[in-house]
Amino acid sequence: MKVEGEHIFNGTPGQVWDLFRDTEVMAAALPGTKKMELIEENTYEAVMFVRVGPVAGEFSGQLLISNEDYPRQYTMTVEGRGKPGFMKGVGDVTLVDLDGNQTRMEYQGEVQIGGRLAAVGQRLVDTVAKSIISQAFEILDQVLAEQAKAAEEGREAVYKESSESDYISAVAKDVIKNILKRPDNDGDEE
Amino acid sequence: MTYKVIGKRVKRVEDPRLLTGGALFVGDVNLPDMLHAAFVRSDYAHAKIKSIDISQAEEIPGVVGIFTAEDMGEDWKPGPPLVSPPPTLEDVVFNSRRQVPLVKDKVKHAGEIIAVVVAETRYIAEDAVEEIFVDYEPLPAVTDLEKCLEPGHTLVHDDLDSNLAAHLVQHKGDYQAAKAEADYVLKRKFKLDRGAAAAMENRGIVVDWDQKNQHLMVWDATQSPIPIRNGMAERLGLRTHQVRVVAPFVGGGFGPKIMMFYAEEMVLPWLTMKLNRPVKWIEDRKENFYATTQEREQIQEVEMALSKEGRILGIKQSIIHDTGAYDPYGLTIPLNTQSHSMGPYDVKNYTSELSVVFTNKIITTPVRGAGRPQGIYIVERMLDIACREMDLNPLEVRRLNFIQPDQFPYDHEIIDQAFTNLVFDSGNYQPAYDKAVEKLEYERFIKEEQPRLRAEGKYIGIGLVPFIETTGVGPYEGARVAVEPSGKISAATGVGTQGQSHMTSFAQIIAEQLSVEVEDVSLVSGDTAEIHWGTGTFASRGAVVAGNAVLAAASDVRSKVLKLASKVLETPEEELELEGGLVRVADIPENSISLGELAVLANPFRGAVEPGTEPGLESTKYFGPAYGATAFGVHGMILEVDPETMMIKIHKYVTVEDCGTMLNPMVVEGQIHGGVSMGIGNAYYEKLHYDENGQLMNASLADYLLIFSTEMPEIFEVYHENTPAPNNKLGTKGVGEAGAIPVPAAFAQALENALEEFDLEITETPLSPNQLYELLHAKEEDNES
Repeated sequence: MKVEGEHIFNGTPGQVWDLFRDTEVMAAALPGTKKMELIEENTYEAVMFVRVGPVAGEFSGQLLISNEDYPRQYTMTVEGRGKPGFMKGVGDVTLVDLDGNQTRMEYQGEVQIGGRLAAVGQRLVDTVAKSIISQAFEILDQVLAEQAKAAEEGREAVYKESSESDYISAVAKDVIKNILKRPDNDGDEE
Repeated sequence: MTYKVIGKRVKRVEDPRLLTGGALFVGDVNLPDMLHAAFVRSDYAHAKIKSIDISQAEEIPGVVGIFTAEDMGEDWKPGPPLVSPPPTLEDVVFNSRRQVPLVKDKVKHAGEIIAVVVAETRYIAEDAVEEIFVDYEPLPAVTDLEKCLEPGHTLVHDDLDSNLAAHLVQHKGDYQAAKAEADYVLKRKFKLDRGAAAAMENRGIVVDWDQKNQHLMVWDATQSPIPIRNGMAERLGLRTHQVRVVAPFVGGGFGPKIMMFYAEEMVLPWLTMKLNRPVKWIEDRKENFYATTQEREQIQEVEMALSKEGRILGIKQSIIHDTGAYDPYGLTIPLNTQSHSMGPYDVKNYTSELSVVFTNKIITTPVRGAGRPQGIYIVERMLDIACREMDLNPLEVRRLNFIQPDQFPYDHEIIDQAFTNLVFDSGNYQPAYDKAVEKLEYERFIKEEQPRLRAEGKYIGIGLVPFIETTGVGPYEGARVAVEPSGKISAATGVGTQGQSHMTSFAQIIAEQLSVEVEDVSLVSGDTAEIHWGTGTFASRGAVVAGNAVLAAASDVRSKVLKLASKVLETPEEELELEGGLVRVADIPENSISLGELAVLANPFRGAVEPGTEPGLESTKYFGPAYGATAFGVHGMILEVDPETMMIKIHKYVTVEDCGTMLNPMVVEGQIHGGVSMGIGNAYYEKLHYDENGQLMNASLADYLLIFSTEMPEIFEVYHENTPAPNNKLGTKGVGEAGAIPVPAAFAQALENALEEFDLEITETPLSPNQLYELLHAKEEDNES
């Protein structure tokens, strides 16, 4: 499965870079994340709860950062497995400075899945993956806004954690949106 | 004989039980103190097992035992080779690698069993499976049929030099010489992909070791109870009389239930003997996708040499056949492909190179059609393409090439799946073909209907494909027929029933011989306690091989009845007649004796039987043909494509079948209906999608599209011709697989015809609406550039 897209953040590439390396922020941003910690340089260990249609369960795995070129690009390798199956992915992330205040993140990668996740969840996995990414971006946008606001007000930034039910309801919303978006339903959208 | 029952549309005697839930399936077997098994299956297609952690699972209350390969010790051994490679050919390469009960070190396909949990309930067993942690070292998966043969490629079996499982070449005549004389040589590459048999009832097995009686009782949803009994006894170090295997009613076989031994069939008997308690396992639908064999994956390169009139001068073929991770079933499927690659045609020159490859996918073994659809597909596709390129009439070209009635028996000079020469016993192809042309109203459709509908903007096309099916192969089957003191008839045969109506059609044969009602015959099929010898229900051979054994036994009982009655009634046998359960003197009908009374007399309680005679009115007979009976058929369809959605509607479907003598036409028609529904699935809906990691991406019935009744043809007509098989007394030929065989070929032809303006060339099957969309758009892009 291919994963690709882009997102514009209100912040400098350096800020965005740091954001993505902050395990606390990322644990909060990635829905379903139960644990994320740095175990050695550029290697993170994470436990995540994932639900894809009828397939649900915890995945534990490692995330490896390589080919770093601060603050422009890096490569992410993810490998995880759990009762519902396994996943393995490699992706490249590029940060493009737009005008000093904004950064466009471009990402593209290839994810392989196996086990029950592939056999039964295959139809939905694409939507769920996109949903997780868009939810993460939404939260990271909020984090950046909070950081800017906190800096302005001269205080520490405070982050709100997202719950499992937030994640599940957001995924459900995205699945439905995706169904409504089909061309033959064009007229019904919104 | 004046009393005719064979050929009558007798209603199935097994139906009342089946339709009211009164029939026994393996799932219905529940024994006191019974345990339940669940399996830990690999998520990976190819991986080394580093460790297996069962500590958490063991703690679960209700778990009785968890076993891995190591626990089996000396009892761990691979399954037997079910079919050996052909001994009659020179230079055959065959690397036999068989499935194992539990994986020891390296997983070779997703779904392979690593451990088994035995618990008080299936729920507990499944929960425990979830708590077993297997640490794998994933390896690259072997999935590509062509690339897997390249030097240095990852190996499925590390002890081999390559992924080549088998290699052989078959020759007939001289293809190169034929090619040199040809006016036209056509070359194409074909891709044929996998589907599932998807029987309604999954596999299942209940085993019960009786320690005191030293006896193993097995209920198994198998198509081959007798070989299963023999093999189990051998594996477990028992005598055959210590094992009884019952294949009760089985909810569809379609081939994969002949496979033996499945890992579960090796593990469960071992468990019951170890634990001394009955154990049950019923396959769930997800397991069925990973653990039950599949079929049809091949890549073929084909060359056809033709004269300018369209006469086939020769065919050259190179087949790469995917056997999956193991090859217990030998070369049956690809040999069948070769046997059908010349279709019903008189082809004098043929060269076929076969390479069988190991991949990290589920094992392939015959699925209804068993290699035949692939052969018919390529020969019919080649003819269709040739006709278009040479601007020839496809109907005339077929007529020109048919083997003629006076050429039978027709020796193809290559070996078939039974390792005997491929000989077509009989046939009369053109009348059946012409009948199909007429019933489908082919000419009128092309001349009138299609132009009219096309003018209305409809994409509607016609396809018509003739085919042969080699059926009724040996080695043999047996039957036992006995008259009971009640006058009713008991019979038994080793071919189990998975929906083929054995209890009715075999009863018809017996009823006709003994002049009784069909309902008075009770037939047991698939119980090793009832008959000792046999092979099983497969290869469209039940009606031919077991049917003729039934006939032989029934006619022997008839002789015994007449002989005894002659003595009792003091009348010569020639003056006796059987009717309504009585034997009577033809001229003096009141001078009679019932079959029941004769049965009692034949089994005296006192006195002495004559030396050299046997008690009872009973006989056991066997039948084994020298070679098979080749059936013929023609399938035609008119289909419409919706150019927006690429969904299709089959408006009309016509088949003409020549399966020789029909025991029961209703049963034949049922087989055709079922076969065609499978064939339509094979053509356009059912495809197992593996990714490059050997992961099955649609292992559920939500994603694997079995066809519904809504995809069946609106009009479905089945017609018959009868060219009796000369080598068996009944004159029957098999028909169980026929329905599925020509459908993808006929479908491709009709689809191309419906989309004629796009000049589409179809060389792969199964297709799907998506794929058709992509093919058409690729075509458009080609045209634009």
